[in-house]
Amino acid sequence: MLWPSDARVAHGDIAETRPNETDRYATDGVSTRMWEFVGDRFDEIAFASVQHLSLVAQSLVIATVLGVGIAALVYRNGTASSLANGVTAIGLTIPSFALIGLMVAPLGFGVAPAVVVVVFYAMLPVLRNAVVGLAGVDRALVESARGIGMSRFRTFWQVELPIAWPVILSGVRISGQMVMGVAAVAAYVLGPGLGGFIFQGLSRMGGAGATESIVTAVVGVILLALVLDLALVALGRLTTPKGIRA
Amino acid sequence: MAEALAEPTAADSALRPWRPLLVQVAALLAAGAALVIWLVTADLTAVERETLNPDSLLQLLGQHLWLTAVSTVIVLAIAVPLGVLLTRGPMRRAAGPVLAVANFGQAAPAVGLIVLIAAAPFLPNGFWAAIIALVLYAALPVLGNTMIGIRGVDQRLVEAGRGMGMTARAVLFRIELPLAVPVMLAGVRTALVLLVGTAALASFINGGGLGLLITTGVNLYELRVLVTGAVMTALLALLIDWVGRVVEHVARPKGM
Amino acid sequence: MPETTAVAEDRDESQITGKSIRLEGVTKRYPGQSTPAVDGVTLEIPAGQVVMLVGPSGCGKTTTLKMINRLIEPTEGRIVLGDEDVTAIDGDQLRRRIGYVIQAGGLFPHMTVAQNIAIVPKMLGWDAQRIADRTTELLDLVSLDPDTYRDRYPKELSGGQQQRVGVARALAADPPVLLMDEPFGAVDPITRQRLQDELIRIQQELRKTIVIVTHDFDEAVKLGDWIVVFREGAQIVQYDTPERILAEPADEFVESFIGSGAGIKQLALQRVRDVDLKEAITARPGDDAAEVLAKVEKAGHGHVVVLDERDRPLSWPSRRALSRMATIPAEADERTPVIGSGATLNDALDEMLVSNAGAALVTGRRGAFAGVITIEEVMDAIRAVRASASDDLADAPVGTNAGSDDGTGDEVAQDG
Repeated sequence: MLWPSDARVAHGDIAETRPNETDRYATDGVSTRMWEFVGDRFDEIAFASVQHLSLVAQSLVIATVLGVGIAALVYRNGTASSLANGVTAIGLTIPSFALIGLMVAPLGFGVAPAVVVVVFYAMLPVLRNAVVGLAGVDRALVESARGIGMSRFRTFWQVELPIAWPVILSGVRISGQMVMGVAAVAAYVLGPGLGGFIFQGLSRMGGAGATESIVTAVVGVILLALVLDLALVALGRLTTPKGIRA
Repeated sequence: MAEALAEPTAADSALRPWRPLLVQVAALLAAGAALVIWLVTADLTAVERETLNPDSLLQLLGQHLWLTAVSTVIVLAIAVPLGVLLTRGPMRRAAGPVLAVANFGQAAPAVGLIVLIAAAPFLPNGFWAAIIALVLYAALPVLGNTMIGIRGVDQRLVEAGRGMGMTARAVLFRIELPLAVPVMLAGVRTALVLLVGTAALASFINGGGLGLLITTGVNLYELRVLVTGAVMTALLALLIDWVGRVVEHVARPKGM
Repeated sequence: MPETTAVAEDRDESQITGKSIRLEGVTKRYPGQSTPAVDGVTLEIPAGQVVMLVGPSGCGKTTTLKMINRLIEPTEGRIVLGDEDVTAIDGDQLRRRIGYVIQAGGLFPHMTVAQNIAIVPKMLGWDAQRIADRTTELLDLVSLDPDTYRDRYPKELSGGQQQRVGVARALAADPPVLLMDEPFGAVDPITRQRLQDELIRIQQELRKTIVIVTHDFDEAVKLGDWIVVFREGAQIVQYDTPERILAEPADEFVESFIGSGAGIKQLALQRVRDVDLKEAITARPGDDAAEVLAKVEKAGHGHVVVLDERDRPLSWPSRRALSRMATIPAEADERTPVIGSGATLNDALDEMLVSNAGAALVTGRRGAFAGVITIEEVMDAIRAVRASASDDLADAPVGTNAGSDDGTGDEVAQDG
């Protein structure tokens, strides 16, 4: 593979001729080219951003339901809880790129492996925090709820889950930040979203618009992560009972 | 172990955390063995035989470990002193902004960072581009945990040390850092796991490593190559995490 | 035992009695605060005495204490230790010469008891043997068995034991001055009382200059030779002996700080060692019970005191209990009322009321049995205290907020 070093030689030549002027020129040039790139491809970028955000957001919803559901099943049982924690720890250790590669074998390319992998990683922090949060609910509260005749399910839904919710939600925020990056890698197996710009840039490395394409994706993902986090904070405000707000 | 066994109560409490560690490493070794058996017995195509022969696998593994090791050393050399510095006197005020920027940067996708550095003019390519990206990416947990660990040391102990006439340096090296070790090591383990995983992306920019098996597998649609690369990367990450846990267990200051 | 002699010589060199401390017009201003935290304190702390700094929380007493070893650097004023102006010398060097004890001992959790104690001696360059000997000596001094506790980590000690090690650590290099910041604040009342007694005993032995910050006025009365009462801004309201502060509080602030029951608090001024103790028949584990019983009956006593090999009381069986024994048992009876000779009559009374005997065993150095105190002695002492309310008129040392210009006129007593 010769193209990366070719690109470097080209840049190096310019730099060596007249360092100071070229620097300024290069800076101007980069920002101009950057805006041109964004302007030309605005629709494409907007579409990819929406897809990226929607992949992450929908996966987060599924992951939260799954994570809280599994936590609800295991949190009262010590062995099951530590098993869940073990799965979480192992899952978070497995590199996302490796798992994406593995998923290609059964699921092929496209949206399917992307969704599976993003949901899987998104679920882990939610599950961990949900187990911790639910186990941390004062047993006396649960007993008094049962004592006044609330059913097991009603107790969970109206007492335990609201109290554990801030902890669970902080897990969701961690998940959101993490899977923004995972979704970008998933573009390698032709998943949707901004990651596509990274791999486009990679395949045209040294050519026109390659760097701009990569920068667009990186900055875009960071901005989306910021937007998502703000949205989750706002959601937390709306959904956390007043009495237990920090 | 011998020391811990000397006193029965100490040995008892020390034995318990060892058991899950032993189970973990046994499971990892079993998974590794299963992979090897699968590779040996499978009916491989010519391309697969070429890619998956033991020599090239070991070479890729070596590259992967080298990427991880070099970036870890650089991360430690930068992030630990910086973390210590940001807990000292007037520098403390810079801690908040630095962590905020670092957190913000953490949201950048690792794959984008690696590819971007390779594409950027005036920056190195291949191996060193990968190293720069890995260092940028994994510095935060070490930096953060160094600061959290030192800040978490009971201020009364610091004052007791100062009150006994220990110099600021002696308090740092003999009280604050030893007491911060467990938290710092947790950060190092997190960084190591991140590094092993992210090093798999180095193959995109000619940086080598086990990721090459995954990219080759995807590009040529050779599922055995793909699976081998993915499983080896995952096992390596789990193994490194295990080593980190063992180190954390051994290096925990006695008496805590 | 050449090592012991070496340690003894060393102690002679640095004097067994502590050094005096003088604060001259010491002020602490924090940036952005209109009123100084400590305002021009001039305070004389006599050598070899225990001075208690008391006052409500936030009154600046802790700041004042920390300016003595310059953990907090004064904005203005001078600090004089003995004859030496230490205001500008290297702070770390100064602190190595001043013992410092904080709440719960402030022991370093990652170091053993011995390592904790060795910190200052190591910084002073002592050799390993001398440090080891000193550690043994100090653990003995604070009544912890050296062989049992030397290699333990702080978490393996009770709160009271940690505090003892904290004191041992502060005394390691035999400093002339000991500063203690709320030293007994984190332990339960019973342990606190024991530790206070222990400190009184140690101070009797060592005669250091000790400055203690406390918010507990009863503790101040019990431990202090002198008490400084502060109000906000480290304004000195009264600096006098506990007796006179109790008898003649300077103003309503001091009065309200003393709280009710000033009379009963005066009982806390009398130590068990000041009272004539009664003798007792003693026995050792394994002695023939019948012989012991005969001795007890002959002396006309009701009980016998069983002592271990180091003369520490184990149990205190009555004649009736003795008559049921063949030999004297070696077990320690936890209900035995035991009190240190440094304890106050107040504490002794408490202990006695708990025991059925209406009396308590008194122990002296290293917990060795010294005699028996009964309720009659305490009653006599109460009568005596009432009679002699405040006739001893020792001159109080200087303690004002006059500022630095007044600091040179040293020997001026506050008032008669």
